[in-house]
Amino acid sequence: MPLTVEHLRRVYGSFTAVDDLSFEVASGEIVGLIGPNGAGKTTTLRSLAGILRPTSGRIQIDGHDLATDPLAAKRRLAFMPDEPHLFEYLTVEEHLRLVARLYSVSDFEGRARALIEELELKGKEQSLPGELSRGMRQKVVIACGLVRDATTLLFDEPLTGLDPIGIRRMRETIIARARGGAAVLLSSHLLHLVEEICSRVIIMAGGKKVADGTFAELASRADLAAVGSNLEQIFMRVTGHS
Amino acid sequence: MLSVSLYIIVCSAKNRIRRRLQRLREPRYLIGAIVGVAYMYFSFFARMRGARGSIASGRRRSGRPPELPAFLVQAGGSLAGLGLFALAVLSWLLPFNSSMLEFSDAESDFLFTAPVSRRALLVHRLMRAQLGVIFTSMVTALVFPTARPNPVAWIVAMWVMLTTVRVYFTGVTLARGRLLLGDASVRPVAWAPVAVALAAVAIVAQSLVRTLVREQPATVGSAVAAVHHALSSGAAAWVLWPFVAVSRPLFAPGGRPFAAAIAVALAVLTALFVWVLQSDEALQEAAADAAARRAARGQARDKPAVRARATGLTLAPAGRPELAFGWKNAVQMVRATTGVALVRYAVALTVVALMASAAITSATRARGLAMTLCSLALGVAGFSVVLGPQIVRTDLRSDLRHLDLLKAWPVASAAVLRGEMLAPGIALTGVAWLALTCAAILSAAGFPSLSLSWRLSIAAAAVLIAPSLVFAQLLIQNAAAVLFPAWVPIGNERPRGVDALGQRLILLGGVLLSVALMLLPGAIAGGLIWVAFHRWVGPPILLPSALACSSVVMLEILICTELLAPLYEQLDVLAVERVE
Repeated sequence: MPLTVEHLRRVYGSFTAVDDLSFEVASGEIVGLIGPNGAGKTTTLRSLAGILRPTSGRIQIDGHDLATDPLAAKRRLAFMPDEPHLFEYLTVEEHLRLVARLYSVSDFEGRARALIEELELKGKEQSLPGELSRGMRQKVVIACGLVRDATTLLFDEPLTGLDPIGIRRMRETIIARARGGAAVLLSSHLLHLVEEICSRVIIMAGGKKVADGTFAELASRADLAAVGSNLEQIFMRVTGHS
Repeated sequence: MLSVSLYIIVCSAKNRIRRRLQRLREPRYLIGAIVGVAYMYFSFFARMRGARGSIASGRRRSGRPPELPAFLVQAGGSLAGLGLFALAVLSWLLPFNSSMLEFSDAESDFLFTAPVSRRALLVHRLMRAQLGVIFTSMVTALVFPTARPNPVAWIVAMWVMLTTVRVYFTGVTLARGRLLLGDASVRPVAWAPVAVALAAVAIVAQSLVRTLVREQPATVGSAVAAVHHALSSGAAAWVLWPFVAVSRPLFAPGGRPFAAAIAVALAVLTALFVWVLQSDEALQEAAADAAARRAARGQARDKPAVRARATGLTLAPAGRPELAFGWKNAVQMVRATTGVALVRYAVALTVVALMASAAITSATRARGLAMTLCSLALGVAGFSVVLGPQIVRTDLRSDLRHLDLLKAWPVASAAVLRGEMLAPGIALTGVAWLALTCAAILSAAGFPSLSLSWRLSIAAAAVLIAPSLVFAQLLIQNAAAVLFPAWVPIGNERPRGVDALGQRLILLGGVLLSVALMLLPGAIAGGLIWVAFHRWVGPPILLPSALACSSVVMLEILICTELLAPLYEQLDVLAVERVE
């Protein structure tokens, strides 16, 4: 299984951000991670990416434990955060080159060229982050994530700052990666996007998983049958906002 | 609106204080606060108490406190008034803008869109500036404890003067704004102060020149007296009256003279304030300009570069990860080095080089251009090795803000630490080697009493030791970033407060002590070789001594990066300080 999370818990002082979270994401699956603000989505993704240390629990990427075998696990993982933090003085092309080197990407030139085309970064290769719009910087972060062959892709609000064309392209990119065999975990507040591209959804509230399943499974749950099959209605019900 | 302003100011101040007190629950802030308060006490309060003690003992001895020279007491108001006058005139002539028109983003969004008059906004801004003005006035009373026997009177006088200066500069900025409004009827009124200022300069200058030429003072005291006479008589006295009136409370003795002086100063402040309120038409444009400047400053700080300079550095597609980090930091270093940064380094470098030059000149009594260049080169080498690792921060210290990115990469922690130090270490070592080579070539002029063998041996030993000194310091600085990430300032940001001041002092002391401890084994190893063999080998024994010392230190650095690796893995991005 590309991504396995077992009893993940993360505590900040006396506040529990994520509590006893367990789930799996299979190859080719796109799983939506949704929840109200403060539900623990970003903490979960940052823990999965190896940025935050879980207080307890176990995370496995392609069978490699993130705590005991972090390098092997991280090699198979790509995390695209919501805030595009880039190195101020490296160009777009240099960012890709650096990531390719760190992840030992063999055919960097061809991959980089294809990604630059795919993400519409053509002509911006020699630009510094300061010269790019927020949407463009977001695309660079995503290009850095996709330049290597990651088996598990983590997206945190991937559409923030993108224009309508960029949103469409990004949707296609995510779907294409899943079809290529990657396990995708995607966090977003855009429920229509989740509904459109995700095959399964995990709903979090107050740091806990309150629902997990395909839309059909969720819609057929006894307590949700009355609200209809619309994700927004399901979301409202399970998070306690009737 | 007054109550709204007070509400914003009081709530903001209260919450800021509460937040700073709350963070004292964390040991790092509590310890920092204790050290910071101790530093403040011994730096300022103890001095003030000492000064008061000396005043008291002076009273006991001579019956009156020690005083400023009589001529300064007498002429203080005139001289300070002249200074204020010069500032006032310059503010019309230079492209200067008042910070009083800089509103925060929240103020712009909430208050500019609210049904609030421009004058009310000006009053609000002036009120918000008061905390800073009062704090500055109190600091001046602490820094100059002997300035006045009564610090409260000093603080009040200083507050009135600083507030008047701020209000005046605001008025100047607004008047300039009115010139750009394009309203023909307003322009003559707006130009009037410029004409008045130029006429005033002519009157004061004529009075000063005439008096100085006539009296031709021979001493400082007589010169001050002549200036005072020139400024306190005739037309110049009328011109300078408001400026002298504002500064006079600082020099007025207590009691009634002080009360009278402060009343007059407040009257001047009130008149200026009314003038500023009359100029409110240009407030929105001036505030928008100020906001644009503030945004540009922020952008320059966060994203200083606007174009990618070619560096000539390319990253090979495969190899050790340390080299990738080294390449990344080298590219960043080259691109971040702007003209302003170079000037900043050049000033510090010149000061150190001149100090080294002066020290060598006085010790060796050598003279000449070659000697000067030799000592300057030594100064540059010393600067690179001793101060360079503290100044050049293109390593983990600046990368703490990218910690989430670094931690997501599949690179061993020890390799990250070594790689981060690589670029600044190589750059500083390169500069030091170049400077040492220059110093060695010119050493015959700089150190004529030393033989060639000694000079070459010392130079070669210095070349061998330089990299270990540089990398040892970089290691300690980066280790501090790993162990105490919240204590390391990120980029140009600096946390505020007494606790932050204490943290910086502790960090500095810890770094210096750690570097000394780290160099000790190497120094002992090198020293043993020197003691054992220098009688037989002579000066060239310095080379193996330096090599042994450098090797031991480099080995320590490698071991330390491995030891630090688990701590880097535990390093939590949330521990990195976010400035308020």
